[in-house]
Amino acid sequence: MAGGQERVLRRRIRSVQSTRKITKAMELIAASQIPRSLARIIANRPYRQGMQRVLLEAALGDPTGAKKLLTLPEKVDTALVLVITGDRGLSGPYNNASLRAGERLVAQLRREGTTVRLFCAGKKAAAYYRFRGLEVEESFVGVVDRPTFSQAQDIARRLAGPFMAGETQQVFIVSTRYLSAGSQSVEVEQLLPLVVPELPEDPAEKELKGYTEFEPEVEKLLFFLMPRFLESEVFSALIEGAAAFHTSQQRAMAAATENADELGQTLTRVMNRARQDSITTEIMEIVGGAEALRSGK
Amino acid sequence: MATLTVEIVTPEAPLFSGPATALIARSSEGDFTILPQHTSTVGDVVSSIVRVDTTEGTVAFAVHSGFFQVGKGFGEDETLATVLAGVAERTSEIDVARAQAAKDAAEAKLAAVNRGDHADDDDQLVALAALERAQLRLRAAEFSAS
Repeated sequence: MAGGQERVLRRRIRSVQSTRKITKAMELIAASQIPRSLARIIANRPYRQGMQRVLLEAALGDPTGAKKLLTLPEKVDTALVLVITGDRGLSGPYNNASLRAGERLVAQLRREGTTVRLFCAGKKAAAYYRFRGLEVEESFVGVVDRPTFSQAQDIARRLAGPFMAGETQQVFIVSTRYLSAGSQSVEVEQLLPLVVPELPEDPAEKELKGYTEFEPEVEKLLFFLMPRFLESEVFSALIEGAAAFHTSQQRAMAAATENADELGQTLTRVMNRARQDSITTEIMEIVGGAEALRSGK
Repeated sequence: MATLTVEIVTPEAPLFSGPATALIARSSEGDFTILPQHTSTVGDVVSSIVRVDTTEGTVAFAVHSGFFQVGKGFGEDETLATVLAGVAERTSEIDVARAQAAKDAAEAKLAAVNRGDHADDDDQLVALAALERAQLRLRAAEFSAS
């Protein structure tokens, strides 16, 4: 009777231990991906900052043209939302945080009477929203793990297309920003119309920066610049998302491994007690049997 | 003394960063040269070979379109010229055989499109872009060999 309980416990311990092996392996794999994905963010930084500088210069050089290109129309009928999540789960709060932020944004836009077109990057986003009955217009799969620049270009083109055609007046991106190893946060950013980094309103400040030449003229330049800038921003969102994914997964799997250790320990203790109990019972039975035989003599 | 620092960066990695005597590239308005103390300028760079002259010789890059910015650097009397390119590579690192193969493939694709096998406009644009890239790579490889 008691032996049966012991066997059940032994089986559970084995299952916990094999789960632990899996979580430990995932933890190590995620940890090995972190430095690589961080190196990509660092390698991308000069380009991204350079693009922001160029856009800022161009916007300052042609404030009226920039205003036309960069400000929101009075009425936004349709907005496009791109939500970036991972392709895989088991990554702690990473996927859920962006999914929920995306959902909130969609709900808010709809309350304001805006039609929302939903784009997803990452398998998890498309699956989640489709399950929730939201129509996902486009889903990019297989890009979020190790994004390449040409993939980012492709996504940027699909986002800019409807905007250029006038089908949508606003484009948002919901992604996880990698601030540091200990801090990643989900952010909702407006991609289009472009948000110029810290455009100073004060004309005096422009004077201070001095005179800048443009080649070709600034109106044309701004026009060329827009799609390239968009690509750069999408790419940086993708690589930061990848780094945040690996960090989050590593942390989640480390916690899972620890839990498995703890559970295994508890179960082992319970099992030992059960074994002891069964041995004690057995001895009692033998002694009792021997006593009975002797007294029966 | 007036100095010039040149940076060539792509989204994946900075390709070059260091002191130089001149930066020679081509914008949609034509060829230009940036020397130390050049005025602040912002412009585009068309697909071409970008040359960086340094005291130790010339380094060349095949740049597949991008932008450049010239401004004040961090040091005193330093001019900073940055070239931002989506795709760029050092001419010395170009794989000629691969570029040749890409060129042949692009030409075959274009011929097929022109025969009317594919009516897709996108296909033609993609093939044209691929051909342009392959041709630039081959020219750049030649440039670095000479």
